[in-house]
Amino acid sequence: MRAVSSLLLLALVPAILAVKSQDFKTCSQAAFCRRGRALSARAQENQSWQSPYSVDASSVAVSPEHASFTAAVKSSLYPDVKFSLDVRVHDDGVVRVRMDEVGGLRKRYDEAASWALIAEPTTSPDVKWAVGPKHVRATYGAKKDIEVVVSYEPLSVTLYRGGKPQVVLNGRGLLHMEHFRTQAADEEKTTVEAPADDSQAVMQVNSRAWFEGNEEDGFWDEKFGSWTDSKPKGPESLSVDIGFPNHGHVYGIPQHATRLDLPTTTGEDAYYSDPYRLYNTDVFEYLADSPMSLYGSIPLMHAHSAEGTVAIFNAVASETWIDVGHPTKTSTETHWISESGILDLFIMPGPTPADVFAQYTRLTGTPALPAHWSLGYHQCRWNYISTDDVRDVQKRFDADDFPVDVFWLDIEYAEEHKYFIWDKKNFPDPVDMMHDVEAIGRKMVVIVDPHLKRAEDYPVYKEAKDLDVLVKSAGGDNNYEGWCWSGSSAWIDFFNPKSWGWWKGLFKTVQGDKWSWTESTVNTYIWNDMNEPSVFNGPEISMPRDNVHYGGWEHRDVHNINGVLLPNLTSQALMSRTDPPRRPFVLTRSFYAGSQRFGAMWTGDNLGTWEHMAVGVKMVLANNIGGFSFAGSDVGGFFGNPDPEMLVRWYGVGIFSPFFRAHAHIDTKRREPYLLDEPYKSIIRSFLRLRYSLLPVWYTAFRETSVTGLPVLRPHWVEYPKDEGGFSLDDQYFLGSSGLLVKPVTEKEVSETSVYLPDDQVYYDYFTYDEYRGASKGKTVTVPAALDKVPLFIRGGSIIPTRERPRRSSVLMKNDPFTLRVALGTRGSARGELYLDDGETFSHRDGKFIWREFSVSKENKGIRIQSADLAAQKPGEAVDGVALSTYSSANDFAKDIASVRVERVVVLGLGANPKSVQAGGKELHWEYNPGLSSDTKKQGAASVLVIKDPGVGVSSDWEIVIQV
Amino acid sequence: MLWLLLALPIPALAGIEKTRGVLPSFLSRYQSPGSDTALWSCLDNTKSIPWSAVNDDYCDCPDGSDEPGTGACPTGSFYCHNEGHIGSLIPSTRVRDGLCEPECCDGSDERPGVCPNVCKEVGETYRKQQDAERKVRRTGSKIRSLYLAYAQKEKKRLEDKISAAEAEIKVREKEVARLKDIADTAESLSEAAMQHKKESPLYQSLIEHSLALKSLQREHKKHLEREKALGDILDALRLGYNPNYQDMAVLEAVRGWESLAGLPHINDVRKEEGSTEAESAVAQQEEETIEEGEWSAGRLDKELDSLLKTDYETLLIQHDKHIGAPAGGSLLFDLAAYIPDAFLPQYLAFRDTLVPWLETFGIAKGIDSEGETDNSAARKAYQDAENTLNSIQKDLDKAQNEVERLFDPEWFGPEGEWKKLEGTCLTKDTGEYTYEVCLFGEAKQKPNKGGSFQSLGKFTHWNNAPGVEPGSPEYYTKQYYERGAKCWNGPMRSVTVITTCGTENALLSVSEPEKCEYQITMTSPALCLPLNESEAQRDEL
Repeated sequence: MRAVSSLLLLALVPAILAVKSQDFKTCSQAAFCRRGRALSARAQENQSWQSPYSVDASSVAVSPEHASFTAAVKSSLYPDVKFSLDVRVHDDGVVRVRMDEVGGLRKRYDEAASWALIAEPTTSPDVKWAVGPKHVRATYGAKKDIEVVVSYEPLSVTLYRGGKPQVVLNGRGLLHMEHFRTQAADEEKTTVEAPADDSQAVMQVNSRAWFEGNEEDGFWDEKFGSWTDSKPKGPESLSVDIGFPNHGHVYGIPQHATRLDLPTTTGEDAYYSDPYRLYNTDVFEYLADSPMSLYGSIPLMHAHSAEGTVAIFNAVASETWIDVGHPTKTSTETHWISESGILDLFIMPGPTPADVFAQYTRLTGTPALPAHWSLGYHQCRWNYISTDDVRDVQKRFDADDFPVDVFWLDIEYAEEHKYFIWDKKNFPDPVDMMHDVEAIGRKMVVIVDPHLKRAEDYPVYKEAKDLDVLVKSAGGDNNYEGWCWSGSSAWIDFFNPKSWGWWKGLFKTVQGDKWSWTESTVNTYIWNDMNEPSVFNGPEISMPRDNVHYGGWEHRDVHNINGVLLPNLTSQALMSRTDPPRRPFVLTRSFYAGSQRFGAMWTGDNLGTWEHMAVGVKMVLANNIGGFSFAGSDVGGFFGNPDPEMLVRWYGVGIFSPFFRAHAHIDTKRREPYLLDEPYKSIIRSFLRLRYSLLPVWYTAFRETSVTGLPVLRPHWVEYPKDEGGFSLDDQYFLGSSGLLVKPVTEKEVSETSVYLPDDQVYYDYFTYDEYRGASKGKTVTVPAALDKVPLFIRGGSIIPTRERPRRSSVLMKNDPFTLRVALGTRGSARGELYLDDGETFSHRDGKFIWREFSVSKENKGIRIQSADLAAQKPGEAVDGVALSTYSSANDFAKDIASVRVERVVVLGLGANPKSVQAGGKELHWEYNPGLSSDTKKQGAASVLVIKDPGVGVSSDWEIVIQV
Repeated sequence: MLWLLLALPIPALAGIEKTRGVLPSFLSRYQSPGSDTALWSCLDNTKSIPWSAVNDDYCDCPDGSDEPGTGACPTGSFYCHNEGHIGSLIPSTRVRDGLCEPECCDGSDERPGVCPNVCKEVGETYRKQQDAERKVRRTGSKIRSLYLAYAQKEKKRLEDKISAAEAEIKVREKEVARLKDIADTAESLSEAAMQHKKESPLYQSLIEHSLALKSLQREHKKHLEREKALGDILDALRLGYNPNYQDMAVLEAVRGWESLAGLPHINDVRKEEGSTEAESAVAQQEEETIEEGEWSAGRLDKELDSLLKTDYETLLIQHDKHIGAPAGGSLLFDLAAYIPDAFLPQYLAFRDTLVPWLETFGIAKGIDSEGETDNSAARKAYQDAENTLNSIQKDLDKAQNEVERLFDPEWFGPEGEWKKLEGTCLTKDTGEYTYEVCLFGEAKQKPNKGGSFQSLGKFTHWNNAPGVEPGSPEYYTKQYYERGAKCWNGPMRSVTVITTCGTENALLSVSEPEKCEYQITMTSPALCLPLNESEAQRDEL
């Protein structure tokens, strides 16, 4: 009985906490998605299906520099409609395929890429297209093993490597660009009723029905709930199939609450019945396992196999649905259905994951190197209710010695939710409050949303209205009015260039000739929320699609980009507050390809459940794969009151997320860590201190992603692309190139867990120094995972730099000494890196930083640990944004930290008791605890050599020689 | 060659005294064992380390005791002497972090030259502040002593009241017993007759009606309360919900309520005007038309209770008297009640001629109305006396209860210092609302724009956190008011009143750190303990 009733309870839970799914469309409720899927279904049934699109061979024109060509494309369905094709190969081998309707009634939206790309990519000087009678082809690559073939009849684009097809465009003939038409002309054709049982008759009446179907399904207007979308432009959707015939795994297309290795949406055992949807929406209490769209969209998909990785970036900004299927275990087919826009597709040839990340970030940019403090702990709540409340929270953090870097203010700081305007009843002295927070080296983040209360006494609204930079309603004549936190609201149209300078001016902390936020400080940073945009009384809690933006584009055309302009401009605004500029910090909820350049994101309004905790890890990984590494989930869950066990585990997840913030809904009980009882309180303190001790590792990983685009969190397939056992793993991951492997526990009442070790290497438990030996084909081991422990391992062959003196904030650690954990690999070697700079200006781009390499080499019978200047060796690859030609180890920053020492070196897995440990010819103090050597196959405690105060600086070259 | 250039050993913190940062009472433990290489024991004796390792900016001891003067051990602490002020112990995590700790006014927590020694100024400010605090306490404690005197007076008053009541009760009890005897005697004579009367169908039906009416009133009240509660919830929902159309169910509920209650569309008016609009709309609701003779809602509300309190036995007697029916209840007399008004005069005339005739023949017996009246008067006298006795008893109980609470640490404090404030109502206007706390009574929130108040709860207890003893000063720093009006989609409202010593009873601030859980700060002289001798002396200096 008990079992039955608890089962019943379980069954009830989703009903109580479920998303309001009736507020959001399924594919069958979106006409263009319905049409796209129907097209795919017809293709499936028709054995002799062939794409009606073909290249006019006579029109192929190769550009003078040979790397691109254009051609005319026509559709046998509409011989009078003209399309153009532009295919080019970039200098790094990326293929860009563009197709547009030319000379049509209207113009399709073609600006999505211009918002996402950092610059117009240059074409390859080495590629030469060869024009043949049936196709155009180009061969390139260092080994000349990449070939791109554009076939004429039907139109298809295939990328081959080593003769094997990697990416195939229109291989299934689902390419369809609905041309612009007038309503009247079309009515005639479809008023003819075709007898359902006589397909011959159908062909006679409507020769296009085999492809397009027989009815005009939602061409001219469309209802959803109480809203009608007027669709003044008529049908203009775009369907394209993209196949990966030799890749059995696809990843990416964030943001969805799902597994990293994307489950199927088509085929017999499809995991989901709906396609993945990309349409930025504010989904209340979203599901923890669903292809529904969420707050952000990155139309980037990686396809992976043990033989290689490729990726495609589909630069489309309108609502897009993506079907994923695996016809075989080793192949993937996808179908992308978008509401509007041109075809603008980037094919990244790989062949390694690292190559793909480099190729993608050359297009859309690498993540900016964040301010160092922003990698610390962020404490948020909706809401800290007064300046005194903030002071009290800070006081209690300090009283309990919990490190924290940032206190946040949600919407209630603002009078009537007029952002920037303090509610003086509760926040009478905001600048003084900020100074109190800054006194401990901390910062504040305050929310500014894109909806403006329509109140004439609100200067921000007044100025936006006077400048005429507000989004217009359908027709384009009147400012759109919707309902949001501030009640009746207007939305800034950031597509309008006039808004840019004005917006940046708002954040000036000193009074100029216009209104600006003088009641803030240069340590006030910004949180941009609700930027999908969220409109409480709009269709799908967003804007009507027929709203009009700058340039006359409809909201439907730009929807998924709409959210990103706000954080982009805000980050520029924060930089321009000071001279010289300081690094900005902006958190955004909505995002698109390219958003990684401007700040951090989080996974929105999650629920305080174990399922959400677990899927949060996967979502953050997917975001890392999508090029946007600075990601995290609300620790504790936004909705609900987590019990202490859940909260502790959630902190265990949070400390290993790039963006680490605790946040809670206004209806929840307070849950700041100082409010917990023992032992939970001390466990969370130790977790926070662990995060802070590892900040050098995080910062070094962020340097790497800022230069190479390699993500900060790396799932197994990125680090071990040939190890099939790791391709579907999404609950454990590596932290940058550090060699740290973490598996946060996201289950209730667990005392141990299993960890997958992908290679024949030794892995050391970070806390106990117990050794676990992996195997070349992968091995799963059981490890302790009590509540006070996050399973964390150092891969043999790594050197981990940490700072182990707990401080109240990260800024206060800047003169603290380092500890090096030297985890010897099975062959007795190891290496690691450390990057440091001032953490808040852009002086690193002027060469003011250190980038060190620590390494271990065999020395006779012993080992030699060395510190070398990596920056001097590779100045051009050292920092983001600039390729330095030289580097001086005597730069100002290096001088600043000249006295910062290495206070301790811990060597794990040394084979025998040392005879001597020396630096600079001087014997050092050390202690050796015998244990397992790094080359053993046994499991147990490793030998530990602790070298005390070797007398070496973290920024200088040195050697420590250990003789055994 | 290169090696020589590279090897620039970086000294740790050279030349730190071994006793730096040591708490004075532990100085004896930081004695040199003889030489730098000789062993020194960590304070917890878990490990021995060379004397040179003490304060060498490297953590050797598990308890952190080898680094009293550096930040090397996360678990240690650091003592600042603060000459000119008072010494203070700070966590090691704050040593050499680049910040000048306010607790270390001598700047000894940072490298030399980083933090100035400001102990003179800090000490002075501190002393001034202490003086000011003592002054407040001195004044406050004088007021407090008045409260203590009041409590003593109250005690005296209550005790007097108790003894007077006890004496009076003794007298009254005798009187009640006497009157009871009289009434009982009278009643035993007429009991049979009375019993008989009560068997009258009219009386039975009246009692039945009365019971039914009472039940109806009870049920009606229940429904009214329910309706009001629902209305309140819906009003709160309508005015207070985030107009978040994400939740269509909420929207439907608001729209439904608006149409039912005749309220304007909340979207059509500015939200802040919503409440006043709502009220005028309610006021405009039309009066129902009522059939003649039927009671209006207002009358029901005012008069039904007293109607139901009618003494039916007395009424029965009066009734008999009125219609002059013989005991035994002839149908003729009762008939009057059943005869239509139009025929009544004829019937009465007929009856009045008939009865004397019947009486003459001994068929019917007249009413001995005098006897009945005597009997009921005796009963009434007895009952009145008993009521008086009960009320005196009640007063006595109340006084006794009050005396018990007067010096109960869990009520008015061991010295009765809070008694004076019982029922004192303090208010704080925060702009939108005025908050009122009636001490030991109820806390309320009143919208300044008008409208009804919300109960935030009634006094339940003092600070009952673990480790806080009833009677200790800390115990009285927090008062809890709980089980107030329930929040829509939230808990029942509650208040924590945080009190500090002050010369006035006043509310300083109101906040709502969690939804519907309020925090009010207050000052009161009741918390101003008198200065002890040493404090008082300092004050006089």
